[in-house]
Amino acid sequence: MPDASHVGRRYEAPGQVVDAAAAEAFAKAIAGSDEVYVPGAVPPTYAAVYCLFPTLYKLFADAEVGVNLAGLVHGEQSFEWPMPVRGGDVIDAFAVITSVEDKRGMTFLTIGHEASRQDGETVCRGRSLMIIR
Amino acid sequence: MTVAVGDEMTPLDRTVTQEQVNAYADASGDHNPIHLDVDFARSVGLPGTIAHGLLEMGILTEAVARWSGGFDRVVSVSCRFSRPLLPGATITCSGRVTDVDDATGIACLELSALSSSGDRLLTNGRATVRLPL
Repeated sequence: MPDASHVGRRYEAPGQVVDAAAAEAFAKAIAGSDEVYVPGAVPPTYAAVYCLFPTLYKLFADAEVGVNLAGLVHGEQSFEWPMPVRGGDVIDAFAVITSVEDKRGMTFLTIGHEASRQDGETVCRGRSLMIIR
Repeated sequence: MTVAVGDEMTPLDRTVTQEQVNAYADASGDHNPIHLDVDFARSVGLPGTIAHGLLEMGILTEAVARWSGGFDRVVSVSCRFSRPLLPGATITCSGRVTDVDDATGIACLELSALSSSGDRLLTNGRATVRLPL
């Protein structure tokens, strides 16, 4: 299980190419049976794909941290987007474990994220709270 | 658009089907069986499959973008995933302006999302948006 000794561990996911067709499928999934809000745009929460998941999966695969995926709940999420992302952008993302706390018999794992574009501009900062029961 | 503290964001309703959850799983790469497999979801104590929290956050972010005038106006969004959204239910995203900074052109909103069965799905929601000049 994660503990305070894991704070500061960093997981890199460089070279994530934002595929316009994949972003369109993501936008359609958010729209459901409604019209896509802005066809051709990369929805802001596509940061899940270019920033969150590629780094979180590395964290979850870190056997020394030992996250129990069966007991994992996504508790909170924040995103800040200093600059928009477009199809074709190449994104370097990383995640850092920023705190691990035990509360009420559960582990609260907080992860900070950041993603930058090919020109060096930061396109996303995030914070995820994962609760492990 | 003139925006003042206390203004209500135009609510956005969306009925989320299991097909939509399946599409989001494919588009995001998150195939956790709690979203896809009823028997598995029940085996871990859920009433059935649940929508991805980030799918709900995608709809919430779209609501903020529609009200503020586009994805590129949305600077940040955060929320707590308080209760799960069960496929077949309707999520209603709403918000209220809590602060307007005329010097920076940034407005702050508090956000929430309710399900058609009355569950408080997303709580502690916050967003900041760039206002049109």
